[in-house]
Amino acid sequence: MRLPRIFRTTPFRLTLLFLALFAAAAFAFLAYIYVATAGEATRRTDQEITREMRSLAAAYDRAGLDALNQSLIERAASERPFLYLLMTPSGARISGSIAASPVEDFTGPPAWTSFSVTEAGAQGRSVKRPARGLQERMRGGEILFVGADVGEDEAYVLKVVRALWGAGALVVVLGLSGGVLVSRNVSRSMAGLVAVVEAVRNGDLGARARVRGARDEFDELAAGLNEMLDRLERSMAGHRHAGDAIAHDLRSPLTRLRARLEAALLDVEAGKSDPTEALAQAVNDTDGVLKTFGAVLAIARLQAAGAAPSQAPFDPAGLARDIAELYEPLCEDKGVEFRAELSPDLTVRGNREFLAQALANILDNAVKYTPAGGAIMLRVRRRSSGEVEFSVTDTGPGVPQADRARVVERFVRLENSRNEPGAGLGLSLVAAVAEAHDGRLDLDEGPGKVGEMGPGLRVALILPRAA
Amino acid sequence: MRILIVEDDLEAADAMERGLSEGGHACQRAADGEAGLAAARDGGFDVLIVDRMMPRMDGVTLVETLRREGDQTPVLFLSALGEVNDRVTGLKAGGDDYLVKPYAFSELIARVEALARRRETGSVQTLLRVGDLEMDLIGRTVHRQGKEIDLQPREFQLLEFMMRHAGQSVTRTMLLEKVWEYHFDPQTNVIDVHISRLRAKIDKGFDRPMLQTVRGAGYRLDA
Repeated sequence: MRLPRIFRTTPFRLTLLFLALFAAAAFAFLAYIYVATAGEATRRTDQEITREMRSLAAAYDRAGLDALNQSLIERAASERPFLYLLMTPSGARISGSIAASPVEDFTGPPAWTSFSVTEAGAQGRSVKRPARGLQERMRGGEILFVGADVGEDEAYVLKVVRALWGAGALVVVLGLSGGVLVSRNVSRSMAGLVAVVEAVRNGDLGARARVRGARDEFDELAAGLNEMLDRLERSMAGHRHAGDAIAHDLRSPLTRLRARLEAALLDVEAGKSDPTEALAQAVNDTDGVLKTFGAVLAIARLQAAGAAPSQAPFDPAGLARDIAELYEPLCEDKGVEFRAELSPDLTVRGNREFLAQALANILDNAVKYTPAGGAIMLRVRRRSSGEVEFSVTDTGPGVPQADRARVVERFVRLENSRNEPGAGLGLSLVAAVAEAHDGRLDLDEGPGKVGEMGPGLRVALILPRAA
Repeated sequence: MRILIVEDDLEAADAMERGLSEGGHACQRAADGEAGLAAARDGGFDVLIVDRMMPRMDGVTLVETLRREGDQTPVLFLSALGEVNDRVTGLKAGGDDYLVKPYAFSELIARVEALARRRETGSVQTLLRVGDLEMDLIGRTVHRQGKEIDLQPREFQLLEFMMRHAGQSVTRTMLLEKVWEYHFDPQTNVIDVHISRLRAKIDKGFDRPMLQTVRGAGYRLDA
């Protein structure tokens, strides 16, 4: 059998524990009150009986049985509440206010006993009242019993006990309802969080906990949970995006490769071509696919990681110089003038390898699209904002304003560049590298149209000011 | 040359073994890290080709163990992990070169031969000589048939690398990694331009060209 939810909550269990402790303390307290009140009443009665017994025994010792008997008669006539019975050594009644002794053993030592006396109450009904007495043997062998009606005491004790039971019940009821209240409250606060966790587990990454603004630990927990989910969602989206992109970017070149192989197979079967050539072509195509794969993977990893790994401060001019040195001969061979303007004494923080690749990609594009007779300018400078800018300006055909955002997207190549080699991922990687450094990629018009040239393209990779 | 291939991908290991055997090398194989370590301890190999991710013991642990035991056999790491950090981990563990999967077969052979060669000429040299080409590493001068050839610093480095691996194919990626220290593939073959400039300087005006283009692989400097 399962307990209702509320009884299974941690706050409720804690409440039960505290209730148990509280009840134990209350019990000890009430027990003390009981002993102090009820016990005290009994003790006082016993003392009074003992005193009466002593005084009667003294009278007997002093003046004998008759004097004792006389005193009993006198006392019974008074308003004293004591009950007396004087008996012969064999237990026969001599005198007294009760008919028979409640103590059956006459031979024993002095003995206390509790008994009840029957009293004629109102309207002729007999009422049994509790009494208590002491029986002692006098020096001459006669037996004296002295008792007292303790009905008042008992009634008092009964009241006390009843009050104590009531108090105990109150403790339990108050504790229990308090516990239920507290656990309901906490449960309600938790329920929101639990619901969010449940929703996320069922695949809804968009679920968020409500922050009530109470600034308590539940709000803290909710805020923490939300932040964690934000990150998780971003990361998941990154991975999903990366997966889609890889599938997209690789499917088309692989499809092309397959088609080419199939065509080659048919040609070879028909004896139209030499298999060696077809195979060499296939290997070349595969290299192309692998290159694309490498680029896609690099982009995907950068995007998924959020920030470039292993960042360190370095001199951007030095990096630009190295890359310029790699590309300068290429420009010269193509008949493109190459110039570099590199501000010294700058520092940027980043992953040198990734930035080198980004710069190489930008230069690659520039060389690819700038016709002979054109010019390429590589520049590293500090902007007035403190950011560091790597820029490459060419005098190629440029990119129309409307297409600039699009060329940065993966795999986008403009119509007029379809025949050029290259996977079309160059600028996407540059953009990913820029993003991974909290920087950005800006595309702008070059120096403008001059004769056959231009208007050109200016690609700027801008890194934030080094902290 | 005796080569130990430690690779759990049996098909890849088959292809490697066949290719290397055709090149006249004797290959032995191990399919997991522990077997690889045992085989390497037996010794007698010129180069170890070690996959990074393997059952029972990963490649990095294998090489670290060997290096701790004083074994200095050149190691070429193979790995699908191509990030800069992965590469650094591999080289720090004692690997001598790092090739990211998938690789061109010519690339693998070129690197294995380069590693074996490096061991043969391990000592510090001040003069490199290939045929009638001479390089003075201290004076930073190059002569062919007694005629001084003027080279830019990078051209000098490029030629030095080619001379140290004379007679072997070196790939464009190897040059980019070892001479320029970049670990990415530029879309354009920038290396070709640098090679052709170097070729113009060392071969032009001489009866016999030394710097050869190897189809599908890269370049080779012949005596």
